[in-house]
Amino acid sequence: MAKDTKILMTFPVTATSHRLEEVRARGGYQALEKALKTMTRQEVQQQISDSGLQGRGGAAFATGRKWSVIQLGDGQPHYLCANADEGEPGTFKDRWILENAPHLLIESMMIAAYALEVRHAFVYIRGEFEGPYRRLADALEEAYAAGLCGNNILGTDFSCDLVIYRGAGSYVCGEASALITSIEGKRGYPRNRPPRLTVKGLYQLPTVINNVETLSNVAWIVAHGGAAFKAVGSAKAPGTRLISISGHIARPGVYEIEVGYPWKRLIYDDCGGMQGGAKLKCVIPGGISTKVLTGEEIEKLNLDPAEVEPAGSSMGSGGMVAIAEGTCMVRLLQVMLRFYHHESCGQCTPCREGMGWLHRLIDRIVAGQGRLQDLDLMARISRLQDGNTICGMGDAAGYATLGILAKYRHEFEHWISTGRSMHEGNLECRRSS
Amino acid sequence: MPQIFIDGQPFQARREQTVLQVADEHGIFIPRLCWHKGLSIAGNCRICVVQVEGRSWVEISCNMPVSEGLRVLTDSELVREHRKATMQFITLNHPVDCGVCDKAGECTLQDYHVAYNGERSISVEPKVEATKFYALSKRITLDNERCILCTRCVRFTREVSQSHALGVKHRGDHSLIRPSGDMPLDRDAYSDNIVDLCPVGALLSTSFLYKDRVWTLKATPSVCPGCERGCSIDVWHRKPEWFVRSLDARHNRTIARVTPRDNPAVNGPWVCNKARDLAQLLERTRADTPMRKGRAVSLDDALAAARALIEQAKRPVALVSSWGSNEELQAFKDAFGARFGCFVKADHQPADGEVLQDELLIRADKNPNGRRARELFGSAPIEYPADTDLVLVWGEGCDFARLPRGVPVIFLNAFLAPENGHADVFFATSVHTERAGHFTNFEGTVSAFSACFSRPPGAVDAEQVFAALALQEVLAP
Amino acid sequence: MSALFQSLIPEFERMKQRYPAGFESSLVLPCVRRVQEARGHVADEDIAAIAAYLRVPRIQIEEVLSYYTQFRSEAVGKLRVEVCRNVSCSMNGAERLIGHLCKRLGVAEGGTTTDGRITLSTAECLGSCGTAPVVVVNDQYHENMSIEKVDRLIDGLKGD
Repeated sequence: MAKDTKILMTFPVTATSHRLEEVRARGGYQALEKALKTMTRQEVQQQISDSGLQGRGGAAFATGRKWSVIQLGDGQPHYLCANADEGEPGTFKDRWILENAPHLLIESMMIAAYALEVRHAFVYIRGEFEGPYRRLADALEEAYAAGLCGNNILGTDFSCDLVIYRGAGSYVCGEASALITSIEGKRGYPRNRPPRLTVKGLYQLPTVINNVETLSNVAWIVAHGGAAFKAVGSAKAPGTRLISISGHIARPGVYEIEVGYPWKRLIYDDCGGMQGGAKLKCVIPGGISTKVLTGEEIEKLNLDPAEVEPAGSSMGSGGMVAIAEGTCMVRLLQVMLRFYHHESCGQCTPCREGMGWLHRLIDRIVAGQGRLQDLDLMARISRLQDGNTICGMGDAAGYATLGILAKYRHEFEHWISTGRSMHEGNLECRRSS
Repeated sequence: MPQIFIDGQPFQARREQTVLQVADEHGIFIPRLCWHKGLSIAGNCRICVVQVEGRSWVEISCNMPVSEGLRVLTDSELVREHRKATMQFITLNHPVDCGVCDKAGECTLQDYHVAYNGERSISVEPKVEATKFYALSKRITLDNERCILCTRCVRFTREVSQSHALGVKHRGDHSLIRPSGDMPLDRDAYSDNIVDLCPVGALLSTSFLYKDRVWTLKATPSVCPGCERGCSIDVWHRKPEWFVRSLDARHNRTIARVTPRDNPAVNGPWVCNKARDLAQLLERTRADTPMRKGRAVSLDDALAAARALIEQAKRPVALVSSWGSNEELQAFKDAFGARFGCFVKADHQPADGEVLQDELLIRADKNPNGRRARELFGSAPIEYPADTDLVLVWGEGCDFARLPRGVPVIFLNAFLAPENGHADVFFATSVHTERAGHFTNFEGTVSAFSACFSRPPGAVDAEQVFAALALQEVLAP
Repeated sequence: MSALFQSLIPEFERMKQRYPAGFESSLVLPCVRRVQEARGHVADEDIAAIAAYLRVPRIQIEEVLSYYTQFRSEAVGKLRVEVCRNVSCSMNGAERLIGHLCKRLGVAEGGTTTDGRITLSTAECLGSCGTAPVVVVNDQYHENMSIEKVDRLIDGLKGD
């Protein structure tokens, strides 16, 4: 029997369910009140540590551990940034929160700001998210008007201002250090570590950056306690995950699953299998930077890092893409490599040169001028970028490439030797009915 | 004081150091392209990677803080593999312009390619093309294809000269170094340092473009005479074995270029653009013969005439050159200090539009040895007593109209000037690149310069003139 | 100083209040975005005005303008039509959509119609994968598009 606790998607979405009155009717902002009026900052942090909450942006870093680097009482300003730059292809689950539960994010951020001694917090939202930005901005004005944000929140002596900072079109700004460099009004160039951002971040001051979904769990954890959160999900990854699923799936959308949920059930029961009854070929589990797994492989797995990782992939950003039989994996990789090339910030050598190299190489294969040694060359380029770049994007293209090559090398070999795709270069769903 | 191990050898490090800095201090060479000791850490080239013992990955050493017991390897298999890969990545789109590129012979990319890669490119993709010969300023030409985006130039304009003249536009492998729209690089008095900083042939001095190959030149240590900072410089000129025979022989005695010589006590690794333009200053038309009232005479003749004037003078006045070297100034003091009323002259005044003084290197006094001159001869303003009956003018910058009327003049000058012909006795002198000596800068730091060229025929070292006039010796021609 | 920028200063002053002291540099992106909203792109005089107002180097604004895909330093068509061509959108017909639009509007990708009204370009993932393919017109998302729907959309625009 699969556990099916909901933490975030706990209410039916209507045209008005995001507004403050309805949020409060559902118990919204009680956790903030509890934190500010009955808990110390350390106690709030303790609950987060106890909960075992991990980052839901893709890196799965223990949130409590990240927060603990901030030295309370050090006399320096601390900053908190919510990462709403959601740009990993296949991922649209933070968007769900921004559009449908903006007050959950605001409340959670105020609690986090209290725990971390933050006076100014930011939501970095990707520039293209016009609709989600309007929802969040409206919610923020509601919160300010109701004394839930700004000076003397809920009549306490805790004050925190929240600024929504709009990005302007750069996938790399979803990387934490690039995000804060963007907030500093510059190009979104990632930074080398050391120093850690929790030591020297925004304007060289201690900064915590957390994903929107990660932060949105904070209110529930404070309301129910860290131990209760830890009891949900799995030992390796407590809590739930928002999975945004798309591609050839019949019922795409955002689903909240408790960690450990059977993958097969999500695909076939909740999401209705593939469009037009097509057969599942493979799945990209968590954004295109995670390694692809075949349809047969995923059927035996639960959505738990403890199972997905030994299978050779990762739950990543929760951006799941379901791919039907008859899809050309060469063309799919071409779309991905074109993306990475477009988004490379250009700062460091392996990514700046390597992304263009991979892109031009696969274009040549698609144009019918590939050589068999190109496949080993692509693998070699990927391996040489891995771990050698300033940010994780350098590794990402490599994972996508190596993952697809590992399972579908024969499609590439076919294109190289015949000059044609095994599936006519098709990317769309070949319905069986 | 943490102790770290590099390739198994222990070294005492300072807490604030990085592994790269410790390696540099102890002569262990780790290659680097984007790191420079005068600039912030960028960590983008990735060539400085090292392997921490026990880890299966490499990390950049320019940004690796030292810690007690840290053990790194600078030349393991993994490090070599990654350095080779980095070289493959860097040269992926780099045009093989070596045959026509000014940087050839002193190009870090060439050196590292040979040292760490040595193989041809494994790519068969066409190279990304970009702008060549982009005029970054009137003085600097940029070739974007050769640029490896180390951003040393950008960081220099941001952190050192603070002109904020350069930035990186666009992104990915379409990134381009570009100047700010209002072209402040033209107004950046330190702009040419980016030509030295550039590890490849992307940033080139427009005045030096295609004039020479670096292996035909040698660098002679010298001191810039442009102001009282006295920056340490290298003056580059033709090696004797590369002297041209059939072309104009002036090629053999011209300053090809000037670069900074790193001197932590004076200028660090930088110089201002005036030092770069030294040829303009020192290669003006020269005076080429001793004269008496404009008539060319032999040196002996001129010395005899000068001696006679000095012997009969009762109230001689001397204007001492603030461009004289320590040795020349001492010789002048020995020869005339007792006899003459000496005043230090500022040979050069700031030119129109020249930067007067700033917080970096440039000083308002545009003379290299004023301090030593004033130590020897005082700081009194130039004044001619009413009974002045001889004036000895040494060096440029004298307002001849202000000299007392009818008083004989002995004049020493390196350069062609109308006043040379009006003087009763005139000596054509050498410039400092034609001899060895020392200048003392405004802070009292003494710096040495060596001879780059021989004196032109007809010119004489001022020091020899002073010695001859003092000791009544006949100078050998 | 550009008159347009002048007129926006009261708004910028209010914006500044929400930021901590010393965060002037951060205002570069919001100021650039706001100027672009008003003018349609960011002109040379705007760059000088923003640099002077925020007391940041001019080059910083030029870098920002050229780095972020949403910022434009040149005017484009009154209607900007962007079609996502990333993974899920391509898997749901985006490529055919782009091809159809190019033919219908008579432009290549990135081009503007001869009457200067419509600029067509492609975009990378817009976070709308569940409602693919997505077409964005002047920053507004139009989701679950098809060739028929996009034709109706363009027909609707022609009335503007």
